[in-house]
Amino acid sequence: MAGAPDRGLFHRLMNIDRRVIFLIIALSVALPILLPLNLPIGASREADAYYEAMEALRPGETMIFSFDYEPDTMAELDPMSLATLRHAFRKDVRVIALTNYAGGAGIAERILHEAAEEHGKEYGTDYVFLGYNPDWSATMLRMGESIRRTFPTDHYRTPTDEIPLLAEVDSYANVPLLVTVTASALAEYWVIWAGGKFDQKVIAGATAIQAVLVYPYFQTGQLSGFLGGLKGAAEYERSIDVDGAGVRGMDAQSMAHLLIVVFILIGNVAFLLHRMQGRRGG
Amino acid sequence: MSWDGIGMILAAILTIAIFSLLYRDNPFYRFAEHLLVGVSAGYYVVHYFYSSVIRKFAVPVFGQGDLWLLPGGVLGLLMLFRLGRKVQWVSRYAIAFYVAAWSGYLIPSVIKERIQAQIVGTLPPSPGSAPWIAILGSLLILVGVVSILIYFYFSVEHKGAVGKISQVGITFLMVGFGASFGYTVMGRVSLLIGRFQFLFQDLPQALGW
Repeated sequence: MAGAPDRGLFHRLMNIDRRVIFLIIALSVALPILLPLNLPIGASREADAYYEAMEALRPGETMIFSFDYEPDTMAELDPMSLATLRHAFRKDVRVIALTNYAGGAGIAERILHEAAEEHGKEYGTDYVFLGYNPDWSATMLRMGESIRRTFPTDHYRTPTDEIPLLAEVDSYANVPLLVTVTASALAEYWVIWAGGKFDQKVIAGATAIQAVLVYPYFQTGQLSGFLGGLKGAAEYERSIDVDGAGVRGMDAQSMAHLLIVVFILIGNVAFLLHRMQGRRGG
Repeated sequence: MSWDGIGMILAAILTIAIFSLLYRDNPFYRFAEHLLVGVSAGYYVVHYFYSSVIRKFAVPVFGQGDLWLLPGGVLGLLMLFRLGRKVQWVSRYAIAFYVAAWSGYLIPSVIKERIQAQIVGTLPPSPGSAPWIAILGSLLILVGVVSILIYFYFSVEHKGAVGKISQVGITFLMVGFGASFGYTVMGRVSLLIGRFQFLFQDLPQALGW
């Protein structure tokens, strides 16, 4: 019948209810979480470099760890933060933690205390949490002069002059490594301010979306290592032999990616065939 | 049941309420969305006020007599003039100071770290000083950077050799966009994985199910 809608297979695929796609994606993510497949996880050059930078720290040395993210990206970045702090505490490296995001304080407290408790670390001597300071650029610059003056009190309002760890360490000059785990462009800012002005060695953990912007800084050596997205977290967890949420999520990640690739292929083939049919018909 | 357990059950209910939008718009989704906006706004207003006004200004100035911070505080107060239409011009003085100070700080550093260091990074290592694969990679970066820069050079018509080089630039751009899209997909899927790990692993474990 003239003008009747085309009901071919590819036409139906082009008009599939998007809720069906949501359901299939949900299943592709949920099933591997419930029934792990243990797919292999390779190691990338940048994750190896991140691990090596951490591994180069000696017991008793101090690193700065900046929780530069908020709850919206916890799923990607929490595994990196936890793995890095576990690695640091396992090596008896002391940690000065801070956050450049107001919403990052709760995350920092939870992860710091979890990692510290696992390794029997004591607040004030083995690690300290400085809390949130407004204006990240000013914070990064001023920390190069004096951490105690940048943060007159820690997150719990204890004067930083009274904290034993900060009596020995007061600027980048006393810190061999700075780690930022970030969902924004803060890795670049740490490179510009701490790296560029004070020659501070910097490594970063970034969300997958930020990873493409971070790569150029790794390629030039301005960043000594970096982890990109959940995959980066999983690689690092494997490097330190402590599987966490990163490794546990990789099966689901792989299955969802495979499915999306299949969807893209079907969508493109269906689109091309539909267009060819239209030309022949028209 | 502990407060943590109650909190986790509430978080699970709100997660499901937000996911319900994928089926269709509904009152549960709207309630969860409004709750998120309201709680976030309250949290950030209090946090920013305490961190900036109290901790960085009121305590040092009035508690410790650090009067050097007063001019900065006055400039900060000038920003509030933006709220009145007739007097909002006063806030420009604060903005002018801020722009001038940060330009002075930023311009040299950005040129050094974002431009100079990145240009140096495009130079291939000399043969023999690095594995051939690294040299090949560096050459690829050099070709990519130059061809993309030519693509964005609009003072010459993109014909002949310039047109061909800019076509190479487009190819590099497309590869870049593809990589960016792939990473974006990975990021979004990771967020879904995080919520499902919470619903199917963390929650039952915490509640002893």
